[in-house]
Amino acid sequence: MELRIRNVSKTYSNGVRALRDVTLTIPPGMYGLLGPNGAGKSTLMRTLATLQEPDEGTLHLGGLDVVKQKDEVRKTLGYLPQEFGLYPASNAEDLLRHFAVLKGITDRRAGREVAEALLRQTNLWEARKKKLGGYSGGMRQRFGIAVALLGEPKLIIVDEPTAGLDPAERVRFLNLLSELGENSIVILSTHIVEDVSELCTRMAIIDRGEILLEAEPLRAIDELRGRVWRRVIAKQELAAMEREHAVISTKLLSGRTVVHVHGDGQPGPGFEPVEPDLEDVYFSTMAGHHGAARALPEVEVTA
Amino acid sequence: MKLREVCRFEAVYQLRQVSTWIYFAVLLALSFLMSAGVLEQEARRGDVHIDAPIAVATAMAMISMIGALVTAALVGDAATRDVRSRMQPLLFTAPQSKAAYLGGRFLAAFLVNALLMTAAPAGLLLASRLPYVADLTGPFQPAAYLQAYLLIALPNAFVTAAILFSLAALSRHALASYLGGAALFLGNALTEEVVAEQMGQGKLASLLGPFGFTTLSELWRAWTPVEKNARLLGLEGSLLGNRLLWIGLALGVLAFTWMRFRFAHHSPGGRKGKERPGAGAATERSGPVAVPRAARAFGFGTHARQALAIGLRSFREIAASRAALGVAATAVIAVVLLGQAALSDSLGTPLWPATQFVTAFLGGVFFVEIAVAMLIAFYAGELVWREREAGLSAIADATPTPDWVPFAGKLLALGLALVALQAVQMAAGLLLQAAQGWFRFEIGLYLSVLFGLQLVNYLLFAALAMLVHVTVNHKYIGHLIAILCALFTVFAGRFGIGHRLLVYGSDPGWVYSDLSGFGPFLAPVLWFKLYWAGWALLFAVAASLFWVRGGEGGLRRRLRLARLRFTRPAAALAAVAAALILAAGGFVFYNTNVLNAYRTESEEAARRAEYERRYGKYAGVPQPLLTGTKLRVEIHPEAGQAEVRGVYRLENRTARPIDAIHLAVDPAVETRAVKLDRPARVALADDKLGHRVYALAEALQPGGSLRLDFEVRFAPRGFPNGEINTSVVGNGTYFDHIGGRQPNHRRWLPVLGYQRSREISDDRLRREHGLAPRSAARSRDDFEATRDPAGREWIDFEAVIGTAADQTAVAPGTLRGTWTENGRRYFHYAAPAPIRNAYAIFSARYEVREAGWNGVRIQIFHHPGHGFNVERMIRGIRASLDYYTRNFGPYPHRQLRIVEFPRYASFAWAYPGTISYAEGFGFLTRVDDEGEHLDTPFAVIAHEVAHQWWGNQVVPAGVEGAPMLTEILAQYSAMMVMEKTHGRDQVRRFLDVMRIEYLNRRNNRENREVPLLKLSDQSNLIYRKGAIVMYTLRQYLGEERVNAALRRFLEKNRAGKPPYPTSSDLYRELQAAAPGSLQYLLSDLFEEVTLWDLRAKRARAEPAGGGRWRVTLDVTARKVAVDGIGAETATPMDDWVEIGVFAPADPAEDGGELGEPLLLEKRRLGSGERSITVTVPRRPARAGIDPYDLLIDRDNEDNVTQIEVKEPAAGATGP
Repeated sequence: MELRIRNVSKTYSNGVRALRDVTLTIPPGMYGLLGPNGAGKSTLMRTLATLQEPDEGTLHLGGLDVVKQKDEVRKTLGYLPQEFGLYPASNAEDLLRHFAVLKGITDRRAGREVAEALLRQTNLWEARKKKLGGYSGGMRQRFGIAVALLGEPKLIIVDEPTAGLDPAERVRFLNLLSELGENSIVILSTHIVEDVSELCTRMAIIDRGEILLEAEPLRAIDELRGRVWRRVIAKQELAAMEREHAVISTKLLSGRTVVHVHGDGQPGPGFEPVEPDLEDVYFSTMAGHHGAARALPEVEVTA
Repeated sequence: MKLREVCRFEAVYQLRQVSTWIYFAVLLALSFLMSAGVLEQEARRGDVHIDAPIAVATAMAMISMIGALVTAALVGDAATRDVRSRMQPLLFTAPQSKAAYLGGRFLAAFLVNALLMTAAPAGLLLASRLPYVADLTGPFQPAAYLQAYLLIALPNAFVTAAILFSLAALSRHALASYLGGAALFLGNALTEEVVAEQMGQGKLASLLGPFGFTTLSELWRAWTPVEKNARLLGLEGSLLGNRLLWIGLALGVLAFTWMRFRFAHHSPGGRKGKERPGAGAATERSGPVAVPRAARAFGFGTHARQALAIGLRSFREIAASRAALGVAATAVIAVVLLGQAALSDSLGTPLWPATQFVTAFLGGVFFVEIAVAMLIAFYAGELVWREREAGLSAIADATPTPDWVPFAGKLLALGLALVALQAVQMAAGLLLQAAQGWFRFEIGLYLSVLFGLQLVNYLLFAALAMLVHVTVNHKYIGHLIAILCALFTVFAGRFGIGHRLLVYGSDPGWVYSDLSGFGPFLAPVLWFKLYWAGWALLFAVAASLFWVRGGEGGLRRRLRLARLRFTRPAAALAAVAAALILAAGGFVFYNTNVLNAYRTESEEAARRAEYERRYGKYAGVPQPLLTGTKLRVEIHPEAGQAEVRGVYRLENRTARPIDAIHLAVDPAVETRAVKLDRPARVALADDKLGHRVYALAEALQPGGSLRLDFEVRFAPRGFPNGEINTSVVGNGTYFDHIGGRQPNHRRWLPVLGYQRSREISDDRLRREHGLAPRSAARSRDDFEATRDPAGREWIDFEAVIGTAADQTAVAPGTLRGTWTENGRRYFHYAAPAPIRNAYAIFSARYEVREAGWNGVRIQIFHHPGHGFNVERMIRGIRASLDYYTRNFGPYPHRQLRIVEFPRYASFAWAYPGTISYAEGFGFLTRVDDEGEHLDTPFAVIAHEVAHQWWGNQVVPAGVEGAPMLTEILAQYSAMMVMEKTHGRDQVRRFLDVMRIEYLNRRNNRENREVPLLKLSDQSNLIYRKGAIVMYTLRQYLGEERVNAALRRFLEKNRAGKPPYPTSSDLYRELQAAAPGSLQYLLSDLFEEVTLWDLRAKRARAEPAGGGRWRVTLDVTARKVAVDGIGAETATPMDDWVEIGVFAPADPAEDGGELGEPLLLEKRRLGSGERSITVTVPRRPARAGIDPYDLLIDRDNEDNVTQIEVKEPAAGATGP
């Protein structure tokens, strides 16, 4: 089973074009959707989660039409939205069992067992009787995943799950994600490159509603090998650098500026070659040095 | 400075919301409708212009009440937005003071609210300038609108904004401000209906009523039409007090909020609970996620389980909230405290808390219903918005539940909450009963009223409220619209929507009676409810189709989704709903419009006009006189039917031959087999308008007589849209011929001649139907009218009545025999001497208490278990018979019966020898022997027994002033008996009630003030002013003189021969009895409408030696004559007025009571100020002018004043 998104476009009533002709094919496994804030990730995720409809285009999960057969899709769907609240006065066990019923597990004993298993898996068992209003951000996200995992979903949509988590929580959460069943399609949207590099076997980069790149992270990194150069400069040199070179990214390091530049050959004196990472892929795609026009056909070939 | 910025930002924010302007539009439309609907109708019926200052102000107060919902939305948002939007950490850490933050927010919300309320004067003004109401308006007074806004709308906006803002700010939940709004609304209803109406504390209610509405309605009652049209409100008196009280309260609440409010993070979870250390950071787990497989199902069964789970969960949340606790506590306290006040009769005497009263109070009182409707609207909103407000909607919406499941679950939760509310109300009701020592709990009745009839109404509204919230998709506007829907169902009649099939949730009403249970009401009510259940189901389907799921709420998307969701099951359910609507609605329509005639008010008036136009020419055509009636009555209680076969003996007592008999028949019954004992042909048979003419082949000569046989069948077919006839019911049948039972002057049995009582009497309505104006009653000098025998016949009466085997039938006369035949019981009654042609037939399972008085057999027929006051009634009968026979003349019958009837009406009526007495008007009254309350059963019985003289011996002509000869004399007689048995204080208490109510009701259109000699049907004057005036007369003339005049009047008129007596005849006797010096008083009391204004300004006392005291009293006096619409003219005064000086009141007594009179004498006083000096034997405390309120004075509280005592110089005092 795979998820096929074809020519999906969406424009909101306030004129924002959230998605422009998005076409993706997503196989089982962990799939990263990477893009800056406001790129259209959440719109795409909500559309996949049956919560809104595209203006144009189709989405199919295996044989199911996501727009027209919402009820069927929902039976195999696990969704962790970007922002959500919980009933502050409830506790985790109670609310999880409630969602178990909503997901079709009406047998009380089965519901209890599933809830217990999920709470243990997400390390919330100890805190199961605690009021949800007192949960930390990480606990809340883990609880959200527990809800999403109810009912053995085939399609799991996780929207910006690590935003706002402290490093320890983030690691714990990513570990949890990495262990999700390999038979499911797991779509992880994020603006944090490490999330994708650590977890995903495939990824797409989206910006301003358009898919700029769809690739396997490792292969995308390979492609960039030998084309990324690094130089440490003073802050005031940056403007000139940006004029003369295809700057991918700039970073501060101990008060000085580290610049990554894209170039097929040595861009100039002072530059040293760098072993590229996914961040370089991301930034060079975003900067337009590497991307949709070129990458897509290749992906099609490899898909 | 910061306050100004907070305020500016907030105001701009609110003004940019679309919802703010929607509120404005709603308020504008509402104000327009208020004027075009309510005020216009009021103006068409009465003398008050639609732009009269007080009408504008009253409308403004009503709009304020609805406006409280807008206020709740504005301030609720202003106070809780930061918490909801999680902005609070940013704002609370900003360097601003609490005063700036709270003050700025509040001020902005109040200013926006004040701006929105300008819609009220605008809408009212606009509607009053429509061309077609030009004849209903007075001169344009801009000040009226300005004043109403500044004195009513603006303070109301401030007060509600302050209170609701505080509630929301302190609870951090916008719902609190709505519940507060509902509480204010409830508070208004309580002051209006309980404090003012039932407890009779109008002044207190004026002061306390939120919104100033009660204050205005008290003024409305007190002001004459002239005043209403011209007088501007002015910030004075009770209005000033009310405004100050509430503004003070509002400021206090704001101060309290300022003190309690904390810029602190609010943990929504409340108390953290037991938290185990390290609960969050648990041990790391290893290994892949492995969740046990669980069977899942997605059939209907699962969906039902899901809906149930949502329902139970949501209900638990509602029930566990603090708000719910508050609602429950308020309900219990309100029921227990106010139930006591509400459960009292019209004279303010408490009733036993029988379950029928308690359930009627809980289930049928308007303000309870509106308060519950508000709760339903608010909680429907909470439920619909629950997930979205918790931020959980995305997760919940993505679960595999069909769209109807969350809706059904939430509707279920609302239903469960209502069940819980009813359970609380029931518990409160039981508590109320137990607290008053009543342990006859009728649980079954509680269940059927609270959990049957009432719950169904609430559930119907719940479905509508859910639909509104789902479709409107804006919580606060949803609240407003849902509540407007509820109000519309209540006030639909005011906007001319009369058919109940058009008003959601309505039914023909029901009354439960201990005698007859739910009587004939249950089936019609259930049919209506079935019809509305169809609509509710349709609403539910629609709500599921439009259920908001997923992010966007655009109209187009929602329509598209709804189309997608309109699957086969949805369509099937909609079809079921439509079928139910059509089937049940069709059946109801068949009943209300086919089996029964449905007429709008104007169609009914047109019918009466048609009757007058067609048959008015027969008025005064000589007809034979009825001299004998023989009836054979078959009552079928279980079927609600009765048949009467009757024989009339008619005699020609005129001087001319009569060639045609005119019969008026009642279109409500089937009149058939009319047969004359001589050849005649039917010249006219108009059974629609109810007039028949039989032309005699040979004229009936003077002195000749004829026999008329007829059959009348009363068998209601189905049920009507309007009032359901309760004449024949399972237990408690009561119908009469000429009396108090049949409404609208109906008479089942045929009567002779044209019926003037069927004509339209209202002049405006007559004009609309092209009829010439006529006076309400004919003149005392009308030769024809004073000789018209219709209704004044004396007849030989005999009746055989058959009824169910276990019932007793009662009719006038002596019971000659009783037997059983074909499983039915028969009773044969015959009057030994002719009786007045007015009688009633009763049948029920009675218990009978028998007693005697000088050979008169006294019988009380009452429902078993209603025996509380039976002995009291017998005492009342005996005391009355004693006094009346001694003072007026002999009692003409051999028995005196009192018969209880179900509480479909609340009155007592005196037929010859028989008195009908309503269940709730004396049989269940709780009279204490301390005399704290009026002894209602005794007073009513004394009044009705007096009618055996005044009304059944003296039968007045059918002209103006007739009630003076019956009701006013009965009031007088009853007061005399009361004074003899219960003492003067009881009578004074009775007169206090009468005086307050008389003054409060003087200016109803129905009670236009006329001199008593010209009374027609102004019940206020008849019962209330009549009692006051007669007591005054007694105090001035003395009991002996008054009674002698009455005895003479009775002797002259007992014959019952034309010309029949009028108020002039009685007045002549009274004049003859009064000395010349008091003739002016009689004229003031009976010929004119007179009001006195008497005031004790100051009183001083100083020792006069020998232990005596000299008292100097400064008084002012004035007297005015008043006309029908309240215009007053000062008249010269030279009247005898009582002056009194009183000893200090006994401290054990009530503070309000006067002490022992040290001096009480009548002085002649002219208009203006004067000083009176008297000497009294002991140290005085108070002094006054007309201290016992004999002369009608609008303000009688200034009649008596404290005396300033000048202490004697030390040593100068003697022992």
